[in-house]
Amino acid sequence: MATSIVVVGVGGQGVLTLARWIGEASLSEGYDVRIAEVHGMSQRGGSVEVHVRFGKVVYAPIVEEGGADYVVALEAVEAVRAFKYLKPGEVLVVNKRVIQPPGRWISEEELLGSLQRSGVKTYIVPAADVARELGSVLYENAVMLGFLSQLLGLPMPPSLDDRNREAFRRGARLFV
Amino acid sequence: MRLLLLGNEAIAYGALASGLAVATAYPGTPSTEIVETLVEFRDRFVHWASNEKSAFELAYGAAVAGARSLTAMKHVGLNVAADPLHSAAYTGVEGGFVIVAADDPWMHSSQNEQDTRWYGVQAYVPVLEPSDPLEAYKYVKLAFDLSEKLRHPVILRSVTRVSHVRAPVEVEPPAPPKWGRFTRDVKRFNLVPANARELRKALVEKWEKIAELSADFITVEGSGDVFIVTTGVAYNYVKEALSRLRLDATVVKLGMSVPVPRSLRNLVGGEAVVVEEGDPVVEVQLRSLGVATRGKLDGYFPRYGELDTGKTALGLSKALGLPYSPPQPPKPPIEPTPRPPSLCPGCPHMATFYILRLATAGLSPVWSGDIGCYSLGINLGQQDLITHMGSSVGLGAGIAVAGKQFVVATVGDSTFYHAVIPQLIDVASKSIPLLIVVMDNAYTAMTGGQPSPSRAIPVEKITEALGLPTFVIDPVEVKKSVEVVKKAVEIVKSGRPAVVVSRRPCALVAVRKARRAGLQLPRYQVDPGRCTGCGLCYNLLRCSAIYRWPDGKAYVDPALCVGCGVCAEVCPFNAFKPEGRREAWLELWQQA
Ligand code: SF4
Ligand code: SF4
Repeated sequence: MATSIVVVGVGGQGVLTLARWIGEASLSEGYDVRIAEVHGMSQRGGSVEVHVRFGKVVYAPIVEEGGADYVVALEAVEAVRAFKYLKPGEVLVVNKRVIQPPGRWISEEELLGSLQRSGVKTYIVPAADVARELGSVLYENAVMLGFLSQLLGLPMPPSLDDRNREAFRRGARLFV
Repeated sequence: MRLLLLGNEAIAYGALASGLAVATAYPGTPSTEIVETLVEFRDRFVHWASNEKSAFELAYGAAVAGARSLTAMKHVGLNVAADPLHSAAYTGVEGGFVIVAADDPWMHSSQNEQDTRWYGVQAYVPVLEPSDPLEAYKYVKLAFDLSEKLRHPVILRSVTRVSHVRAPVEVEPPAPPKWGRFTRDVKRFNLVPANARELRKALVEKWEKIAELSADFITVEGSGDVFIVTTGVAYNYVKEALSRLRLDATVVKLGMSVPVPRSLRNLVGGEAVVVEEGDPVVEVQLRSLGVATRGKLDGYFPRYGELDTGKTALGLSKALGLPYSPPQPPKPPIEPTPRPPSLCPGCPHMATFYILRLATAGLSPVWSGDIGCYSLGINLGQQDLITHMGSSVGLGAGIAVAGKQFVVATVGDSTFYHAVIPQLIDVASKSIPLLIVVMDNAYTAMTGGQPSPSRAIPVEKITEALGLPTFVIDPVEVKKSVEVVKKAVEIVKSGRPAVVVSRRPCALVAVRKARRAGLQLPRYQVDPGRCTGCGLCYNLLRCSAIYRWPDGKAYVDPALCVGCGVCAEVCPFNAFKPEGRREAWLELWQQA
């Protein structure tokens, strides 16, 4: 059986990189991996969605609606959009960050509150805050990766640079 | 070497290991990374062509001369190259010639869904279909060998979920490029009717032979009296659906989906379920062999969109009368707000659209658009038609002659060279009143920033040679540009065509270069004391770094602003204030 993860966020947040890191980490554990990326249109500040599947053998490159063991969101509005991928009873991991979609303002409390009350097991990770402490919001994907490594039981992927390693470790410590 | 490669990268490495000498392409999602990967290899001839036809011809010519060559494009790109494709089947080639076409089911980044395999059927060119990056790597090599053995072009059909999927691929080192030398053969390479008639007969015979060879590409797995014929990416969904349905079946996977071998009829015993991504191309061929199929033709699988494991399991269960209940996903707690793709902060197109709106105020123009980042002008209500590469000037001219409407045709530089020059010749020779705006950002930006010919061959050299009055503007100078564009508008109002070239490189490329050069970009901020909440910047200019704060005032996200300063030019209340200096940045940007 393969583990199916849908990673979402907004173009420019490093969604592709986060997905690739999860892939590298699972590969280094000896798993087979498929990562279905999106290119082109969706990178212009729009919604980005990448599917990662790893396991002993993996065939299908994409996750169907109702088929994800984990939805990992770098942004909370996108977490709502990707909700449909969750398997009944499975896990949502969401970065505590809202990037306002054009033409509408949604409050962070309302958004995160509704996710927490949704009945789905939800982890809210202050990855953006930790990343800012480290000097740039650009590290938020590495913080999320650290958190996920604990949740998924995966090692740190070999390709991280020093700053991202630090971000990874901080993320891992957020998991309790 | 085991690498986590995209399908497209795997195709490139497979070609290198096959002794590729010549590679050409016009960038287009989902095919771009093939030649993007090859560009790094300087011992081969690798070229971003002005369009797919030109790319195809270059590679085809090289193969005619005996070199191993590859041309890559997206599905709709093959339409542009369809003319030489059909001729290539008649003449054949000497060196291996592989045409990679990447289909985009469910149109993640395309104007239509189209199944390249029909071109294989129509042009008599065999189609190989890998199911994942590992196979993509292997099949390129098979395609080169097959092409050289048959002296015939071969299509490698990919889809988004092969091209843009990453998987661990074992890669061999590149083989030395195999170049060639043209040998004269007038009867073979001159498609005048007398020769073409002979070649046509030979082609039909060859096709029968190829159909037999197609059997070599079949793999059979599993057992049971249920036969499932599948190909390409669909194979993966079949594998997972079978275990989900706990079904034993014989899975017949076609590595070559066009043409299918006659022997398939005996293999499946005259009856099969067909699972394929795209149109029912294999299914139609099987029916013509007299196989009773269940697939897309009778509605067991959807005729649009992408397959996945769920749809495949559902289709199989319906076709075979098995019980199956798909998983029920939980309902989201609130309605998700749409977040459409938008122009990047500081994108020069954003300013150009704004300038055009001011300069054509009161004319309510028809906005005849085209394919590229500026397609996102749709969010601004400034793209009324976008149908294919070159539609801006082509359809725009038709609308202008049909009635008395004022038409603005907006086109990027890459598309200009790709698909608009012949139309411009018609517009100029008939003097059709049309405002043509070439948004010259020096790159094919939508696909990630491949260089366009714009520096080497400036747009205005071409339009002026056609006798079209041409004005060049820098869109960050908003006020000055509006005055210049108004002059062009007057010409069009008087019944003649005019051209505006709006020149400033892609902001995404420029920002990347500035970061590398260590340049600190200026940033703009809103003085809340001055901002009246008029909304001009976030409603009309629509820079995506500017938000509307709940109190109606503007707010600039400092992480997104790239310091173009257009907002400051636009704001009537002088509310935008820069931090840092703009001159050096604008200078470097223009050179990007
Ligand atoms: S990639 Fe370049 S051209 Fe495209 S929207 Fe961004 S800045 Fe504009
Ligand atoms: S300077 Fe103004 S218009 Fe340009 S990117 Fe920044 S906020 Fe947007």
